[in-house]
Order: sequence, then C-alpha cells, then structure tokens
Amino acid sequence: MVAGASVATMGVRTMGAAFLSGIHLSATLAEPTYFSRLEIALLLIGAAISIALFFWRFGPILRTIFHSKKDADFSLHPIGRRIGDFVWEVLCQGKVIRQRPLPGLAHAFVFWGFLAFALVSLNHIANAVGLGFLSPASYIGSFYFIFAAIWALLVAVSITALFVRRFFVRPIWLGKKLSYESGVIAFLIFLLMVTYLGAFFVGDGSTAVKVLWWTHTLTLLVFLPLIPHTKHLHLVISPFTVFLKRDGFSKIPPLSGDEDFGLVAGKDVTQLISLQVYSCVECGRCTEHCPASNTGKVLNPKEIILGTRSYLNEFGPASETPLLTDARVESPDNSAAKYMSMEAAFECTTCGSCEYQCPVGIQHLPIIIGLRRGATNTGEWEDTHGTKLFLALEKQGNALGLSAMERDKFIQKQGFPIFDGTQEYCLWLGCMGGYDPKGREIIADFARVMQHLGTTFGVMKKEKCTGDPARRLGNDLLFQTMAEFGLKAFETAKVQKIIAICPHCVRTISNDWREYGIAPEIEHHSEFMARHKDGLPQQNSAESIVYHDPCYLGRYRDIYEEPREIVSLAGKLVEAPRSHERSFCCGAGGGLAFLGEESGERVSHVRAAELVGTGAQIVGTACPFCNTMFRDALSAMGETPPQLLDIAQLTARALPASEMKTGE
Amino acid sequence: MKILVAIKQVPERDAPISIGADGKWIDESGLSYTINEPDAYALEEALQLKEKNGGEVVVLCAGPEHVTTTLREALAKGADRAIHIEADDLGERDTLGIAKLLADAAKAESADLILTGLQSDDLGLGQTGVVLAELLGIPHATIIMQVEVTGSSLKVKRELEDGWFQHVEMPLPALLTIQSGGNKLRYATLMGIKKAKTKETKTVQPAAPASSQAIILERVYLPEKQKKTEMLTGTSAEVAAKLVEKLKFEVRVI
Repeated sequence: MVAGASVATMGVRTMGAAFLSGIHLSATLAEPTYFSRLEIALLLIGAAISIALFFWRFGPILRTIFHSKKDADFSLHPIGRRIGDFVWEVLCQGKVIRQRPLPGLAHAFVFWGFLAFALVSLNHIANAVGLGFLSPASYIGSFYFIFAAIWALLVAVSITALFVRRFFVRPIWLGKKLSYESGVIAFLIFLLMVTYLGAFFVGDGSTAVKVLWWTHTLTLLVFLPLIPHTKHLHLVISPFTVFLKRDGFSKIPPLSGDEDFGLVAGKDVTQLISLQVYSCVECGRCTEHCPASNTGKVLNPKEIILGTRSYLNEFGPASETPLLTDARVESPDNSAAKYMSMEAAFECTTCGSCEYQCPVGIQHLPIIIGLRRGATNTGEWEDTHGTKLFLALEKQGNALGLSAMERDKFIQKQGFPIFDGTQEYCLWLGCMGGYDPKGREIIADFARVMQHLGTTFGVMKKEKCTGDPARRLGNDLLFQTMAEFGLKAFETAKVQKIIAICPHCVRTISNDWREYGIAPEIEHHSEFMARHKDGLPQQNSAESIVYHDPCYLGRYRDIYEEPREIVSLAGKLVEAPRSHERSFCCGAGGGLAFLGEESGERVSHVRAAELVGTGAQIVGTACPFCNTMFRDALSAMGETPPQLLDIAQLTARALPASEMKTGE
Repeated sequence: MKILVAIKQVPERDAPISIGADGKWIDESGLSYTINEPDAYALEEALQLKEKNGGEVVVLCAGPEHVTTTLREALAKGADRAIHIEADDLGERDTLGIAKLLADAAKAESADLILTGLQSDDLGLGQTGVVLAELLGIPHATIIMQVEVTGSSLKVKRELEDGWFQHVEMPLPALLTIQSGGNKLRYATLMGIKKAKTKETKTVQPAAPASSQAIILERVYLPEKQKKTEMLTGTSAEVAAKLVEKLKFEVRVI
C-alpha cells in the first residue's frame, strides 16, 4: 500500500479561490486513503469482466474489418493531408462544430473533456493498486485535478444539454426512434463527472469519499463494454477512420481483377468501408442534408451505412448474399432485403452533402456508387429509363439520345471553329451544350464572352459524353468506353487546355478519367471568367440575382467565390438560405436527370421554391443541368417566376451589340 | 431448346457514308459498325426465351474479321456460343448467296428455333430470313412481335399493316423474322463482357464461292437531296382544304 500511504499523507492544501470562489469548500480532490484486499480483488475482477465484455464485442468487429477485402488502391500518401484532417476534424472538432455550431460545441467539450480526463481516470484506477501517479498533494497533481475539474464541469453541462436535445427537443435527424442507449451513456458520463467533482466537496477519509470512488469506478467499468455495443464505438475507431479515409471527395476506387464488379455482396466490402460503417455515430447529418431524404424518398444515407453494418454483422465480410435487393422482386422479409433496397441506392443524386457533412470520415459516395456498380455491372438493375440512357450513350454517344449530326449542324450554324491546335482553348460542348436548346444558348453566350476577351478557341469535331451519368449509375463498361474515346480524341487533336460550361464534365474529365489516362487540363467557365473579370463589363445593375451553387462545382471542386464574382458584375448577389457547401441539389446529378418520375416531392421544385423565396429577380446558375431542372420547376410554379440565366448569359447580355451573334 | 440467332453487322447509324472507288459498294475505311437493329431484337427475344424455357442461344454471323466485335457483344449480352462465317466478299453475294452461307452453318447446329431480324438497316431487303428457312426446309413467319413456346410448337404474333395483328400457331423447328421494338433491349454489362471472354467463337470457312449470283449489283449511290416547296394559294379555307388533302393522300400522315 505504498501509494495508499502516500495518499494518506495528503494535506488539506486549499486551492482557495482558484475556482468556485465565494463558495465555502475545500477545493481539494479527496481520494480514498486505504483499499482492502477484498476491494482490490473486486476491482480487478470487475475490470477483467469489463475488459472481457469490451473485447467480446470489439473483437468480432475488428475481425470483420480486417477480414474484409483489402483496398487495392489504398496508400497512406499524402500523409500531410491525413495529418491535417486528423488535427482539424478529430482534435479540433472543426467539422463537428462548423456544421452544427451549438451541439457541435457541446460535443467538442465532451471530447476535449474526455482527453483531459483520460489521465485522471487512469490515475483513479491506478491508485487502488498503489500505482497512482498524480497526487493532489503535488503541485502538478493539484493543478491537473483543478484543470480536469473545469473540463468535468463543461462536460457535465454539455452532456446535459445534449441529453435535453436528444430527448426533449428531438431533432428528426437523430431518428424517429429514441435511442435509450444514448440516454444511458449520457447518464453514465454525467455520473462520471459528478462523482469526480463531488470528491472536491467531501471531507478527506469520510465514507463519502469511498462511495464516490466506487461509484466513479463502477461507472467506468460499465461504460467501457457499452462502447463497442453502441454507436459510441466511434470513440475508439473514428479517429482512425478520419485518418485513413480515401484521398479525395467522392473518390470511386478502380475495380480490381476480373471478379470485381463493385459492391455486389459482403465479399466486395473493403476494409475502409467496413471501418467506416462501424464508425457511424448515427448523428444523421447526412440525412439532414440529403435531397432524397428531404423529399420523401426511400433513400436515407444513414440507413445505407447502418444497413451495410447490419449486413456485415449478420452475414460477415465473406458472404455471397447480395447487398442490395430489388423490393419489386424480393419479399421484404427475405435475406438481406431488410437492410438495403436497390430503389434507395438509385435515388441518390450524388450531390455529396452526406459525405461532405460526415464528422467521422464516412465516405458515402464510394459506397452508394459502389452498390450501384454492383447492380449495374452485373445487369441486376433493370430500369427502363436507365437502359434507354445506356443504349443512347452506346449508340449515339450522348445522353440525350440525339443523332450526332445535330451537334454538327449546331456547330455550323454558330460558326464555331474546329479545334486544330492553333487555338488556345478547346471549348467542350458537352451533351447539354451540344444538343439541349438551353445548353446551346449558354454555350453560344460563353463563346461570345471568349470572343470579347480575345481568347481563341475551337470545338472538337466529334465529341461523346464524358460518361458521367454512366459512371455515377455504376456502368463501368460504358464509362470506360466513353473515357477512352475522349482521351484518345484529345490526344489526337493535341488539346492542351479545355473549358466547359458543365461542372459534371469538368469533374469527370479532370478526376474520373484518371483511371484510364491523362486528360488535358480542364476548367469550368466560372473559373475562366473570374480570372478575366477585369475585361468583362461591370453592369452596375440593381437587379437582385440569387446564385445556386451546383454540387459538382462547389462540394466537388471547391469553387464558390468565382461564380459569385461574375454574378456580382451583373447585379446584386443574393444568397439562398442553403448555399456554398450546404447548397441543396437541383435533383439532376448521379444520372437522375435521365431516370423516370421521382417518388415524393421533386427535388428541383423544393430548391426552386427556396430560390424564388429569396425574392430575387434572377436565378443565376452555373451548370446546364441545374438550369434545365429549374427551367421545368419554375415554369410549373406559375405566376411570374424569376428569370433563369447561366453566369455566361449574365455576362454576355452586357456585351456590346456588335459582338452579338444570333444564337439558336 | 437450342435457338440460333442470325445477326448482321451494319455501319453505325450516324456513320458518314461515301461510295467506294468502283461505285459498287460503300467505302468501308474508317467506318464504325454495330449490330443491325432488328437483329438486336431477335437476340433479345432469344435470350428471353432461354431465360423462360432454358436451353442454349447460338449467334451466327457472316462477314469479315470486324464482325467478331458484334459477335462478342452478343456473347456479352448472354448468348452462349458464336459462329463466325469468314467472308470478305458479302458485297458480291446476293440474298440467296448469303442465305446459303448461313444455311450451311445452321444445318450443322440443327436448332429448334432460328431467329433473325426482319430486315437489315443497310440493304433492307427483308429476304434473308425467309430464303434461309426455305433452304433449311422449315416453316417460317415474318414480322414477329411476340413469341411463346408451348411444348413442341409456337404461338407468334405477327404485325400486319394498319395496326392489325395476326396470331399464328406453328410447329418447331421454325424460323421467325423479328420486328424491332417488341421487347426492351438490355444494356451490355461489365460482367457480360468478362464472361464473354471464356465463351467459344467458332470460325468456319464458306463452302460456296461467290461466283454465279442470280442478282448482280451494278451501282450504289447516295440518295440525291430533293427539297420541293409548293405554295398553296387561295383563301384560308381553301388553303386548309388543300393542305388536308395533301397530308391525307400525298404525304399520308393523317
């Protein structure tokens, strides 16, 4: 009992008014002075049981993660980014706080409190077996106990606030069902803090000290095994998840080998995916921002993650049982059908707000698109519109299914030069710019802007879709064909720099094509125009323009300010309630623009109403797909909807008339 | 049930066609090819029959080396085997000549059912299937929309003119020429392409030479563009009446 003895010598050193001044108390942590053999035995047995229960559940989880398929493309590089993410997202709780300030801050206090408390807890248990290393009698010890006490207070207040939020405010994102385990955990955390703080208020050597010590200890021993049995597993594994997540937003890994078709069954679930799904803390941020969940569809990104987790729990990481089931064919109580439906997976617009929001490093898009790959690459996904789209891409080479001759005619009519290596830029038309009437207006106007700036450009003689809708709908065969065609065409034409009006084309060419070769440098017209804004007319107009951030420009490419600079030249910029990285999707992405009627409300209508609600006279867009979605949504709203213009059109309307060319 | 599908490879629909130097055939350099559309529907029908009734689907195609891409696509969509009749001289063969090539290969297979598209997108003669049936001595039906197998016989739905249909019962073996649009085509999948690599493609040499054809092709030429504008004159009522008459009897769209 060496340590016990040393504790016994602890003086009544008053920390005076260090904190809680004015209240009459001895602000010293009281610790039990003596532990009987029986107590020590009980503690050791208790600890052994607690640790055993912890590993009883944590062991199988680790085994599932390690026995999952290896991520063939995984590399720790770039390590700097990983460390940066770890510091910002885990240690600073940056994402947690930034996207939900109040609950985020409460969570951060609990987290930081836990870090501060780790030493105290270790010392607490160590004391009983005579290995205590922090003594309230020492200066360091006394300082640290007070430091921890401040945190304990913050933790107690925060956890109470979070408890009130979960059980009384009840935001729907936390799920319709109350999570009682969360209540138990909150209570245990509260108890831990109270029993710690209580020890400052009791006399040394009193029975109360023992009671507090044992209550604190038992709470710890109960808390430990609850961690792997509940979503609080994130305490242990999410720091790893954040550190190890795939490099890049919506990074779709290449398929490896002849047997890999995407996420078909448990055997295809990779280690990163396993780790991520077990990290889910069920906060529902993904659901809160999901355009599908917000418009009454089946898809709930949180349920995709939890569904994968339940699947792994039931079937394991080597299973051949399909991950997705077609609810139209299978009965819902069949096999894995209760976890995930094909319908849900194909309702995703790939807007990426789920992945962007996730505080524990879960990357939803590779999972959802992985599930689609599994269904499409094997032919399991049977959808009239989807098949029509694929066949159109196969045969006509554009998503609209029009004859390539239509594009030739348009180019001729506009007098666009064919890129021959003498021009600076290759102007990429894309399916919308080449075939869609409104997209053509945008291209024509942007061409005028380039002419005004004196920038030379040419268009490709032949152009096929980048394969974006095929990529997002999981058709790798088609995507590869399109990507290889495009890469070869650029190489043959010796293109160095490309400009496109479509963020989907920009993303797919600059990022997704990398799997098959190196594409020329590409940028979005907003970036180009912002760089040349000094040469563009300042319109000094009082018209209010609400700018809608396209998902593939904002979250995917981190371009928020450039298009706003262009909008500001044309009028008064107005922000929508949801903007920048929280922008709400128009509903077109992920190939959904080409699929059939949506269930529930239309995403485009919800967003259009929000944009109209700002009272702006003009809706400004930077993506031809957003534009086409809003065109339909606005015309369905009746009355006098605001004007709908792309940033290229907003700029071109102020160009001198001599540069006017008749468009369509 | 063994189903044989005779398919043809044709230039892509948007391919810029030009006439070859001898004026007897199109210039094939730089063309991209695809499956003849009605044949794609014949293949789809075969695959669906196999899914319902079991059996085997064998695809058959005559042509030069590049037709093997179309055969591979058919294998990727679900056909079990492919037969390639190697022939570089299709342009010199008439319908009977080509049907003979197909018949020679088909005889060895003795299939229960032979399907093919009702006509080709390039020549559009619409005879190959019928002549093939005649050569094999089996019954045939043309312009088929639906096929139902009942034991050892068939129930088929034929498309007639003006929205009429004819339902026919016929024995097996038989040959059917399939109309486009009766089914929904499937898309090619990655898994299909990978599986196709392990499937057998048999190459056979044509037994009959291309000489002594009954029909000799003299010249091919691009259609000359004709744009005819006719101004209708009179009062509005007269113009409307004339327009209706023209739409009804000349253009036949109403």
